Amino acid sequence: MSVLLEPVDIAGHRNNTGISAATETKAGAFNVWGNSFAAEYLPEGDSLVHVAGVPFRFPPVCEGPDNIRCAGQFVRVPEGRYDWVHVLAAAERRCEDLVEMNYGDGSVDQEPLRVSDFWAAPAWFGEVKAFETPVMHYPHHVQQRVPAVMWAQRVPVTRRADLAGLRLPRNVAVHVFAMTLQRTEAGA
Amino acid sequence: MTYMTKGPEPELWYRDLISCLQATFGSLVAREGADPLAVLGAGWRFLHLPGDVRSEEFYYPCEDDDLGAALAPHHGLHAQWWQPEDEDDPWREMRAKLAEDRLVIAAVDNFHLPFRPAYGDVHAAHLVVVYGLDEVRGLVYVSDAMPPAFRGAVPIEAFLRSWGSANPTDVQDAFFSDSRIGRRCLDVRLDAPVPDLTPEVLAGYLSTDVEIFNRTGLAGFDAFAGELVDRCEAGDAGALRELYPFGWGMQAQASLHGELLRRCGREWGDPALAGAGRAVESVAHAWTGLRITGAHGLGDAQAAAADIARHATVLRGKYAEAVDTLSRGLR
Repeated sequence: MSVLLEPVDIAGHRNNTGISAATETKAGAFNVWGNSFAAEYLPEGDSLVHVAGVPFRFPPVCEGPDNIRCAGQFVRVPEGRYDWVHVLAAAERRCEDLVEMNYGDGSVDQEPLRVSDFWAAPAWFGEVKAFETPVMHYPHHVQQRVPAVMWAQRVPVTRRADLAGLRLPRNVAVHVFAMTLQRTEAGA
Repeated sequence: MTYMTKGPEPELWYRDLISCLQATFGSLVAREGADPLAVLGAGWRFLHLPGDVRSEEFYYPCEDDDLGAALAPHHGLHAQWWQPEDEDDPWREMRAKLAEDRLVIAAVDNFHLPFRPAYGDVHAAHLVVVYGLDEVRGLVYVSDAMPPAFRGAVPIEAFLRSWGSANPTDVQDAFFSDSRIGRRCLDVRLDAPVPDLTPEVLAGYLSTDVEIFNRTGLAGFDAFAGELVDRCEAGDAGALRELYPFGWGMQAQASLHGELLRRCGREWGDPALAGAGRAVESVAHAWTGLRITGAHGLGDAQAAAADIARHATVLRGKYAEAVDTLSRGLR
């Protein structure tokens, strides 16, 4: 793994189950209708996956909460200089909101987090399609021909200061499955 | 006898933020040889009619019962609801319209349609395009662009159950059930030729819409948001039940308008127009936060009130910013 790219441990913040097994579709409820991603088409739980060269620690699968439904959680990070916060994310409908970057010197900047719909949608914000399940899980059945998409998106860290943490938006439409920090290259 | 519209099957027109309302109208507009985005995305308004919202995916506010004019205020698009007059022959009007080579938009309950994900599971009001009727073989030909897109034959008995459904209250879908389908159909007409979209034509549309926004639209939003928050604080879940279908129409229109302006801005080499389009799209995206917060808060409206208020404030700011951006572009 590149020393510039560091997956962040978000285990303590996971509060939603968005992935389910075909044998127990009701266990997942990514959205208000109880739809969820199909586990059989996604990476193994806790595995290290690479999307467009960025390593992510994929969440546990079918073992409880697997993503953060954004509600203003504060995610601490190893204090340091970063250029990007990469996320594996999906939204209940196309959505954009603000992340608050908290720096060690006390400054706070808002940066946009833009995430396309997980429901049979295009990458409206130019994200990379990280994973796509060809079926959608409903509480009582597996629906063919309705894909669910997980996106790889990134948020800029614009301030040339040490980042200490970030506060996710208070927006339950946005779900974060994994997060990876990209350090600033020496001399940049 | 078989009644089928002539030519190719209806186009499956879809965008991720639209509902079956814009999708079905888009199919009909495309069949008239017009660009659905240029027609359905030309206008942008805000209108909330207290007490008018129905729990249907295709609810859209209109003051004079002309759904077509509400969706496309700058074009000669008109639409009126109708229902079969003869209970013993519900197909009579449908036969006549198909024989005239006209598509029909029909309201249905997803619970009874085999191609819908909710089949046999969830009651929900929806719209499809009917383009054929074969009473000999017992088939109705329908087109539905909403995922999973479908175009083909449905058994006539299944369609009749769906078209005539009571669409009873369904706890699995609080937003689109509990609304009788009643064999409703829409008669849609594009009465005037669609003019070429030029910078001058578009400027006329924008000027009208900005004037309406400044006169009644933004104030209308404030009244809507104020009532929404007040009702939530009072624990009235009905406010959130209405928010989802109402907001869908407003969100869809903002998304189409924004996309059209961005497209025109790119094609005409006008980055300010493209930027204005992006500002309007930001309105559509802010609707997501409000609608989804409301949907998840349905069980406890009072607890959701603070977040509803915050998202309504954000959305109000996006409206103001977009209207201001358009205003400056017109000066």
